[in-house]
Amino acid sequence: MPVPLVRFVYMRKLMLLAVLLNGLLAYAQQGYTFNRISTDDALGLSSNAVYCTYQDKKGYIWVGTANGLQRFDGSKFVSFGNSDPGSTLLPISDLTQIIPGENGMFWLFFASRFEIGLFDPVSFRYNTVPVTPSKPIPARNNMKLWKDRHENLYLIIWKYGILRYNKVTHSFSDENPFPLPNGWVSSIGVFEDTIKKQIWFPCPDSGLALYDLASKKMYSSSYNPLHIPLLDNKKIIPGNTEIFIDSRRRHWVFNWTSAQHKWCFDERGNILKDTAGINDNREYSELANFFETKQQVLWVYGANALFNFDNDDKRFFFYKPGLTSETGIPYHSAHYIMEDRDGSIWVSTDNGLFFATPESGTYGVVNILFDERKGGVDFTDLIQLRSGEYWLSTWGKGVITLNKNFNTYKAGIYEHMPKMDPVSFSQYNQAWALYQHTDGKVWIGCQAGKYIVFDTITKKSVFTELKEAEGATIRFITGDKNGNIWFSTQRGHIIFYDGKKFTVVQQFGTIIPKILIDNNRLLWLATFNQGLYCLSADGKTVLKHYTSDSKENALFINSGDDIDQINDTTIAYGAGALNLINTRTGKVTWRTFDEGLPGNSIRRIRADRNGNLWIITRNGLCKYNPRTNRFTPYGRKDGITLANMTAAADFISDEDYILFAGSNGLMYFMPSLFENKKPPANVTITDFKLFNDYLPLDSLLKRPKLEFNADENSFSIYFSSLSYSQKEKLTYYYKMDGVDKGWTKADRQNFVNYPLLPPGHYTFSIYCENIDGIRSKEITSFEIYIKPPFWKTYWFVSTLLLIILLFIYALHRLRVNKLLAVEKIRNRVARDLHDDMGSTLSTINILSTMAKSKLNSDNVKTSEFISKISENSQRMMEAMDDIVWSIKPMNDSMQKIIARMREYATNILEAKDIELLFNIEEEVNDVKLDMEARRDFFLIFKEAVNNAAKYSKSEIVKISLLINNKQLTLEVIDDGEGFDVAHADSGNGLSNMQKRADAMQGRLQITSKKGSGTTVKLAVPFK
Amino acid sequence: MNKALSQKFRFFTFICIALLAYVHGYNLNNTYLAPYSTVEEPLTVTSFFEYFIANGLLRFRIPMLFIISGYLYATYDHRPYLQQIQKRFKTLIIPFFLWSAAGLVFTFLLQQFTYTSDVVYTAGIDQLGDNRPYTEIGWDGMLRRWLLHPVSYQLWFIVSLFIYNLIYPVIRWLVVKIPFIWLPLTFLLFFSLFQFIYVDGRGIFFFSLGIWLQKKKISIDRQPEWFSAGLAFILFIGLTVIKTFMAFELEPNQFSTILTLVIFYQLSVITGIVAMWFGLDKVVRWALRKKWFYKASGFSFFLYGAHVPLLPYAMTMALMELSFLPYYRLFCYIVIPGLIVVLCIWIGRFIRKFLPGVYSTLTGSRGF
Repeated sequence: MPVPLVRFVYMRKLMLLAVLLNGLLAYAQQGYTFNRISTDDALGLSSNAVYCTYQDKKGYIWVGTANGLQRFDGSKFVSFGNSDPGSTLLPISDLTQIIPGENGMFWLFFASRFEIGLFDPVSFRYNTVPVTPSKPIPARNNMKLWKDRHENLYLIIWKYGILRYNKVTHSFSDENPFPLPNGWVSSIGVFEDTIKKQIWFPCPDSGLALYDLASKKMYSSSYNPLHIPLLDNKKIIPGNTEIFIDSRRRHWVFNWTSAQHKWCFDERGNILKDTAGINDNREYSELANFFETKQQVLWVYGANALFNFDNDDKRFFFYKPGLTSETGIPYHSAHYIMEDRDGSIWVSTDNGLFFATPESGTYGVVNILFDERKGGVDFTDLIQLRSGEYWLSTWGKGVITLNKNFNTYKAGIYEHMPKMDPVSFSQYNQAWALYQHTDGKVWIGCQAGKYIVFDTITKKSVFTELKEAEGATIRFITGDKNGNIWFSTQRGHIIFYDGKKFTVVQQFGTIIPKILIDNNRLLWLATFNQGLYCLSADGKTVLKHYTSDSKENALFINSGDDIDQINDTTIAYGAGALNLINTRTGKVTWRTFDEGLPGNSIRRIRADRNGNLWIITRNGLCKYNPRTNRFTPYGRKDGITLANMTAAADFISDEDYILFAGSNGLMYFMPSLFENKKPPANVTITDFKLFNDYLPLDSLLKRPKLEFNADENSFSIYFSSLSYSQKEKLTYYYKMDGVDKGWTKADRQNFVNYPLLPPGHYTFSIYCENIDGIRSKEITSFEIYIKPPFWKTYWFVSTLLLIILLFIYALHRLRVNKLLAVEKIRNRVARDLHDDMGSTLSTINILSTMAKSKLNSDNVKTSEFISKISENSQRMMEAMDDIVWSIKPMNDSMQKIIARMREYATNILEAKDIELLFNIEEEVNDVKLDMEARRDFFLIFKEAVNNAAKYSKSEIVKISLLINNKQLTLEVIDDGEGFDVAHADSGNGLSNMQKRADAMQGRLQITSKKGSGTTVKLAVPFK
Repeated sequence: MNKALSQKFRFFTFICIALLAYVHGYNLNNTYLAPYSTVEEPLTVTSFFEYFIANGLLRFRIPMLFIISGYLYATYDHRPYLQQIQKRFKTLIIPFFLWSAAGLVFTFLLQQFTYTSDVVYTAGIDQLGDNRPYTEIGWDGMLRRWLLHPVSYQLWFIVSLFIYNLIYPVIRWLVVKIPFIWLPLTFLLFFSLFQFIYVDGRGIFFFSLGIWLQKKKISIDRQPEWFSAGLAFILFIGLTVIKTFMAFELEPNQFSTILTLVIFYQLSVITGIVAMWFGLDKVVRWALRKKWFYKASGFSFFLYGAHVPLLPYAMTMALMELSFLPYYRLFCYIVIPGLIVVLCIWIGRFIRKFLPGVYSTLTGSRGF
């Protein structure tokens, strides 16, 4: 937090208070209240040598220090740069100027390195820009970057001249477009008059020169056809170094001879007296820079110099360097002044960064400090008379009377004081209470039961003693609507005066510092150590007594100093914390430090016309808004410096000024000063921290959505509205859609943590609200997406499901195919049994019947039938053997097939005395045929061999099994008599062979000619 | 061409066009859908369903229409080239200009009334991105929209088809002579999403495929032995579901995301074509036995020409008016395209009945 410095605030009406006030010197001086930011504040300022500041469009304050570039968001400084030797990155070095460039970039000038560069605040990239002067730079190289209103950038070098930035060559070179007279060299105090479109060049060795942008002519003392007065003014010619024209068209010209001289001219060259006060500093100083705020407050500053011109007083106010001064700030050199978008003034000095809010310098808050070295003064009470004057009772110095303008005047209270003993005299000057009756008379309660009644009409005082007080000091006097007067005393008397006689109605035996008569005429008594009493309108009956010991509706503590009424039903009692008493229900609620009260030590309470309470605690001033239940602290930044010294008395004037007074201090202000009708700036996300690492936020937020991996799920979001004057008075509300159900009020740390967020989409939103409940115009928000690990993504899960589904489907298909295959085998076996066995068995049945019928009659026929039965049964056995053989899984291998083929061929051909040549390629053994193909293949072979044995009459049969073009090839070649294939009776044999070959998707080729043998060739594809 | 194939063509032509309404009825935030489009809004029932349907399940349509077109053109390529082109000009280009003009006039009329003008502006379907009233855009702008960038943006297909027809002799030569070079090359074009004005790189593969199937006399009217309807539909729907989830979950604007989405998209398209073409034989037979379907399928081209810009405007209006309903976007997505299809068919019936000449010109003499 910025550390407040010694502060004093000026109020125009109180200037005359800087005179002796009843023998006391009161200070009420002009000037802004500055707060210092230094390296000691743990905000991160890298060096107290601050050279420059710049506020970007977002509201960040960029600061140039002896340790390079920093960015300030109100809570912390972030450093940028690199000090590695030889590094071309942004240097950590004396950054003397920050100037806005194009596209949001900054020009940075490191004067001690003679380095200029362009910095991109989004990407944080920095590139140096070459400076190529044609001549050597003089040793004393005071220099400055300067930008004209056409965005042209120049580097002005003391005793050298002007270099200009060339966008094409991207460098600074001697392209000076300003034709100064020969030998004239400008100082760095060049000024552009945007109204007249002229540029002024103070040339220390020659005089002033003026360049007219429209005519492109340079005027000077050597060429002044227009008779421009300043150019011919001999007083300012030697050594002029600075010129500035303010919004009032005053021409400020400074020049050096033996010392610095400051001049102020009007447009016609007449000398003005507005330099009053500018020479108040008797120490050596150099006033080198000017700055004018939007409110037309002119600042002049430099080495040992910081002034602002008081437009009302028409003189300069000097901020004394050093802590010893009550109005000074501890600087030796003010380098730069900037006004931020809220109107706050930022002063860069060699001893830290100072800033002051506009409220602290716009005549808002009056703080008057009475010099204790002169004896001091303890104010005990204050009132405003109906005629508008302010009276302040003091302990020991009687009553101080001020007119409406807060000037002292003599009211004559003590003028006709009767002779009395010194003790009594002293007691009448120890005034404690003030009250003006409706008849105009002012009652002044004093020490030891003494009191004075001053008639404001006759101007006469009556000095007397309230016997009923029994010598007790009168602590408070007030009156009711019936004109009765009520007194409280140091010893607990409550005394009633109806205009005729004094009556003691209560005696509590403790100090009663305040009586409040509420709207129902009930009396509320603040007490020391006895809680709060509520008395009937006549004061005789204690209606309620609130204490801290009560089981219900207890007070925070028993001792209280002040009491006030907020509305018809609420009494505010300052006893430690703020005790709010509902007059209807009697319920007491506390507002304590936990709710934002600066301290549980309330000294004064004063309600303003809007129903807000202004509360002085031992920790300063705050405002309590009972409607929003919000406390707003006010401190030095707001111009409140004497809160702790003004805790004895309070008052609200007819003009709605709230006044507080106390030991050596008087302070007053208009509550409306702190009202802010403008919405606060939108909230800016100032940092984003993933675990412990800050992320480059600007480039991050350029994306539509922040995306993180599943394990990047703990982060802190820092935020600020970047309003430095309102910083402590803004309340932030944030919400993370997906986590938070509603808006959450942020604590004062300006950041929020989100640890271990599960994967998902989130939207972080935030807005702020000022003390008057006005929200920022827009809700700042951004989206965050934490990616789930891939195994938790829907696409991965659905991929798995698809694979599982395909697997299940494949299993299902496998099962179905298996069932189909079994069914197919069963069908085939049934068909084979039916085709091969059924018909043969029928034949055997018929033959046996016939043989049986011929058994006794025809032996030959019978024998023939039996012979046929034998053949058929033999064939049936063979068929059965083939069926069984083909089904058996053990015959699946090619070796088994070959063995069976060889066995069959040998048996058949040997019986016919035919030589068998069986040729098998080795690779054939590796061929795999399925069950059906195996059977078909074997049966084709069998048919071919059988035909050769039966019909060919051959001597040799050659059987070959080969692999040819990935086909299993069977060749059965005989050297028999052959036959005419075209005219052969295909019969079942040949046609069956063809069918079986087709079933195997094979190719059967039978080649034969009569007399040249037969070749049967079968080619079967295999897997 | 046998009757079964002819019926299949009729069925799928109508289905592909009718389902177009559900692609163009997509009403999520980002209304332009590319194969690699990611969804920049949370995964909800609505967003998933719409993306799944519009940019997944129904994306087999245009490739299938290109296959049908290529097959049909190859079937009748014995006719003289010029005669064919003349016919195509009448059946494709003249309807293009007419429907483009109709869309323009319809939009212009809507722009004349405050409410409907808001609807047009909110729909934001202008193909040049300038949704100002045409009175502000001027004649030049309107001419550009009529001839090159129709507000009836679906018309790109028939122009693309016409261009393929123009270069048909070249394509046929390539398909017949060097199919093993041409088809893989165009397949790569299909994956590359190449597109140049009206020349759609994705379409040329399927157009060529249609020609190749016809020229090779490959039977496509019945299921091939290797085809398994269950497997095809599981793959088709599964790949589409995965791709849809990926569109929500993968990091947008990344090359890897684009590549992944494109691959899944195209695989989904291919499996979709195979599954739908061979797997719906029973549905085809059932549908074409229904009188109403048979009649409705005669209005395919009219439906194609009329549904945009009618649908986007109707959808925008529905979204504006029904936003108070829960799941109103999903409701609109399901209901409005269906209503528009029915409406277009009824309008088509009306025009065909009372203005047969107009209908004939608008549809290139289709549907009589």
